[in-house]
Amino acid sequence: MKIFKADFDCPPWFSSSAKKLIKRILDPNPLTRITVAEIIENEWFKKGYIPPRFERADVSLDDVDAIFNESRDSRNLVEQCEEGSAVPATMNAFELISTSQGLNLSSLFEKQMGLVKRETRFTSKCPANEIISKIEKTAMPMGFGVKKNNYKMKLLGEKTGRKGHLAVTTEIFQVAPSLFMVELRKSEGDTLEFHKFYNNLSTGLKDIVWTTTDRGKVEEKDGDPFVPNSPKSAFTPKSENSLKNSSKALICITEAIVPKEATSEQQKAKGRMHTKCL
Amino acid sequence: MGCLQCKAKRLCPKRENPVKLASQTAFSVSEVEALFELFKIISSSLIDDGLISKEEFRLALFHNNKKKNIFTDRIFDLFDANKKGVIDFADFVRALNVFHPNTSQEDKINFSFRLYDMDGTGFIERQEVKEMLIALLSECEMKLSEEIIEAILDKTFMDADTNQDGKIDMHEWKSFVSRNPSLLRVMTLPYLRDITTTFPSFVFNTEVDEVATLSENTRSG
Repeated sequence: MKIFKADFDCPPWFSSSAKKLIKRILDPNPLTRITVAEIIENEWFKKGYIPPRFERADVSLDDVDAIFNESRDSRNLVEQCEEGSAVPATMNAFELISTSQGLNLSSLFEKQMGLVKRETRFTSKCPANEIISKIEKTAMPMGFGVKKNNYKMKLLGEKTGRKGHLAVTTEIFQVAPSLFMVELRKSEGDTLEFHKFYNNLSTGLKDIVWTTTDRGKVEEKDGDPFVPNSPKSAFTPKSENSLKNSSKALICITEAIVPKEATSEQQKAKGRMHTKCL
Repeated sequence: MGCLQCKAKRLCPKRENPVKLASQTAFSVSEVEALFELFKIISSSLIDDGLISKEEFRLALFHNNKKKNIFTDRIFDLFDANKKGVIDFADFVRALNVFHPNTSQEDKINFSFRLYDMDGTGFIERQEVKEMLIALLSECEMKLSEEIIEAILDKTFMDADTNQDGKIDMHEWKSFVSRNPSLLRVMTLPYLRDITTTFPSFVFNTEVDEVATLSENTRSG
């Protein structure tokens, strides 16, 4: 087969240095194949290449957004948090609406590939502080480092998994007085491990998750905890406070990034190739 | 419809040239071909006609083609650019292009505005938002009182509807989104970056090959 002999042709518009690099990458012999470290040192590769900045502790949300191409503006969140006492920000109607699974086209890919979701949500009637504290108390014994900063939390897996350390972002929003939506998103690491992590975490969190039963049992539909929260009970506000009076605050739990140097660089190198190997 | 012939050639119906689609979008030719793999799966799930029907679209998203969801239906309508009632491959690629991480914010903002402007009046009216909010709450099985719902709407419109006319126009929407960028999160699909690795079988079905002839390439996937 052509692929085993590395029998391919590069399009004519490829520069000779690009062709040379590609030949060295598509070397069927793993012993002579170029290494990632060498790719990074390659002249062609280095042209216009800006090395990514990997941060461990105290990562600002700006970098996280840039790397994961999310449109969440970290600056807004940070400013809100620093305005005196931070409290969960109230979700506006559109933010709530955008949590609909009907708008989540990622499902097109996830369902076809049998992938699991990278994020999940649940609602809670407990005060925001309690939610944070509960998540922290549950995650730490699971081997997760927890960093808090003015209602920001980072959950960082201490063990190295299949794709590096698992890192999880958690954000809490206020839907109504005494009702919060908690969003957990995998920001780094293997999605299946995130799935497992959430399974374990949700068992520990069942006291704070709002469901039909008063005991707050986490229900799993078809064994899939990634079904968006399934509380069924009617919610009546305890007080007459309308949203106009409730204070706004945002509990942001930032993502921790752990560099996956090799993978991302390989992806970048391969992304520039348009040859087909058959 | 001549679909028997189509099946053999995987060109059904009037499938646009991947090179052309790639040139009009942020996708590379390989990525367009990988998208075709996904398109094939979705479009053949109920009726194998090379087109995605509304039921097939719902099925792809929910594993349940009976489940009506106003947002899914609205997205379907936006994908179906020529109001044919079905989505063809070109529609599919062009619409997904808006969700590409590299696509401009402007395009995403425009798409999202049209998405929420359910009746296409050019304005997002309060009543429309209320209906969408109620649909969302019902989807999550969250029951909130009328008072709470109105309060959420009040707050939203106070924030977004700067001229306080009870509806949000494109200008107000743009400004609102710039203050709340998380609203555009649904408009980006990171999976689109990895599409060729997610659907690598496109390699065997590629039509774009400088070396091989066309007949060599037509292997059914």
